[in-house]
Amino acid sequence: MEYKLIKPEKIQDFVNALIANGKQVLAPKQKKDKVFFSLIRSFDEIAMDFIQTAFSAKSAVFPKCEELYSFEKNGKDTILNNPPAPQHDTVVFGMRPCDGAAFDYLATFFLKENPDYHFKMRYDKTILIGLTCPTGDEFCFCTSVGISPSDTRGSDLLLTKTENGYFVEIITEKGEKLVGQFSDFFEQTNTIDKTKYTANIQKRFDSSALKEKISGAFNWERWEETSLPCFGCGTCAFSCPTCTCFDIQDEANLVGGARYRIWDTCALGIFTKHASGHNPREKQSERWRNRILHKFLYTDEQFGTLSCVGCGRCIRNCPAELSIIEQVNAIMEG
Amino acid sequence: MSELINKIRQFFASQTIDLFIGYKKGRFGEGKPAFFTKPEQLKELVFDDKCIVNLAVYLRKPELKKFSKIGILANFGTLRALLQLAAENQIVDGQYLIFTVVDGKVLEFTNLKAIEEYVSKNLPKPNPERVALLKEIESKPREERWDWWTRELSSCIRCYACRAACPLCYCEQCLVECNQPQWVEVPPTGIGNLEWHIVRAMHLAGRCIGCGECEAACPMEIPIGLLTQKLNMTIISNFGQIPGTKLEPNYALSTFKVDDKENFIR
Repeated sequence: MEYKLIKPEKIQDFVNALIANGKQVLAPKQKKDKVFFSLIRSFDEIAMDFIQTAFSAKSAVFPKCEELYSFEKNGKDTILNNPPAPQHDTVVFGMRPCDGAAFDYLATFFLKENPDYHFKMRYDKTILIGLTCPTGDEFCFCTSVGISPSDTRGSDLLLTKTENGYFVEIITEKGEKLVGQFSDFFEQTNTIDKTKYTANIQKRFDSSALKEKISGAFNWERWEETSLPCFGCGTCAFSCPTCTCFDIQDEANLVGGARYRIWDTCALGIFTKHASGHNPREKQSERWRNRILHKFLYTDEQFGTLSCVGCGRCIRNCPAELSIIEQVNAIMEG
Repeated sequence: MSELINKIRQFFASQTIDLFIGYKKGRFGEGKPAFFTKPEQLKELVFDDKCIVNLAVYLRKPELKKFSKIGILANFGTLRALLQLAAENQIVDGQYLIFTVVDGKVLEFTNLKAIEEYVSKNLPKPNPERVALLKEIESKPREERWDWWTRELSSCIRCYACRAACPLCYCEQCLVECNQPQWVEVPPTGIGNLEWHIVRAMHLAGRCIGCGECEAACPMEIPIGLLTQKLNMTIISNFGQIPGTKLEPNYALSTFKVDDKENFIR
């Protein structure tokens, strides 16, 4: 791996140069009490001092709403059109390493078998710049799911803030290309020991012990009791960096329209409700179980990887204060 | 608190209740919703001004059907929600054991009428900050207001957390989930977002008890409570009806009276 350094006074210029170059920069920005990934016009808008953003940056590759294709009537024919490809590169700047790992999972999910056209179109034009966590909070648990707060997985570049500036790890070809293109802002450096600059995130559960326990957890008798405070708002799934469930909706009039893919969540009562009226997950507890097992069992079986990266958003955002950490520990207790 | 805990313990012991919905200490010292099914769990029970979640939202959960009798620790918003639910025939007298704590003293409501009396005596004034904010928005020209709301609502992701957190949104099928006909655009963009929030506010006009749970649950920090608050203030000033204070169904937008003062309705 190659290393570089961005001097403290150069970081601002680097980000502003990305914008001046025509790249869309998605970075953490304060909105009221929370920090959200937003498109920024200048480095000044970035909130650099945050533990975790309220939502992940997954919308860069999997937007809350995207057109799959449009259709129009032409005499007796129906014409289908692909949506326009994104014109500009998108740079996700300052995401936490857990989000980098989440992008890696998203790429596996959308590209491994039958690559998703729309995801690929965006993913190919997205450059991911991670930022090592200097601190964490009681809701961070990346180390419990095999990720470190300075993990390079999924990122193209990883920045670690040191007293000399930002230490840069060049992880992918995409990252290398970006550094080459903006070489003025990067200087030579030797490798460093990142531990000094990295948060110490406590392990909250043992994922290998959980693996053994959770395969038989479908009929666990405490699902209902542990999920009673859930009122089904779905914020956990919407803010989750790895939740990929979507709904397909048509919006049309007599001459044409478009088909859209929009975010969905297993917390909603109509999630997977059949046209017949039958609902395989009638109760909230069954939908909650689906979410937990999906994170810690189903994707492990399907792709050989957990789909929880320990970012803690579902815990921080839950209005009823349910905690995936407490839930997992309750399953371990039996 | 110990008075309440002892009281609830006795209700468990005499098998009067088999579930008690209250609060326990949350992550930042505030109260979080808690479900007690065994008397020994009650040592965790807390109740103070920081217990703001409206527990009436849980009463529609199908999981609660297996309990024979439920006790509920109600803050002021919950009491008002219970009254409104009763006025709308969603709950009946005697269905729940309802408590609150005032100045350290436990108040047990023997019937819904007692809640009605308590609520009308203790009705707080509207939050002056919110009223000022509404005034400020109202004072802007129409185009500016439209732009402001369009911008605020553009970040809506249509998770419907506002609906899920509302104790008065109890429809088994919400109109946004109806697709024949489809009333509201589903994709979380532009006009569909506006339609959804206008529909939600209109459905709560004169019914919203102002607990603020919709806005608290909004993950995108959209001040959606302003919409219902504005409609409520209009209803109150024009019809004198304050939602969640009366047991009789009496709300402007869906009550028909043969002696209505307006001619067009006759």
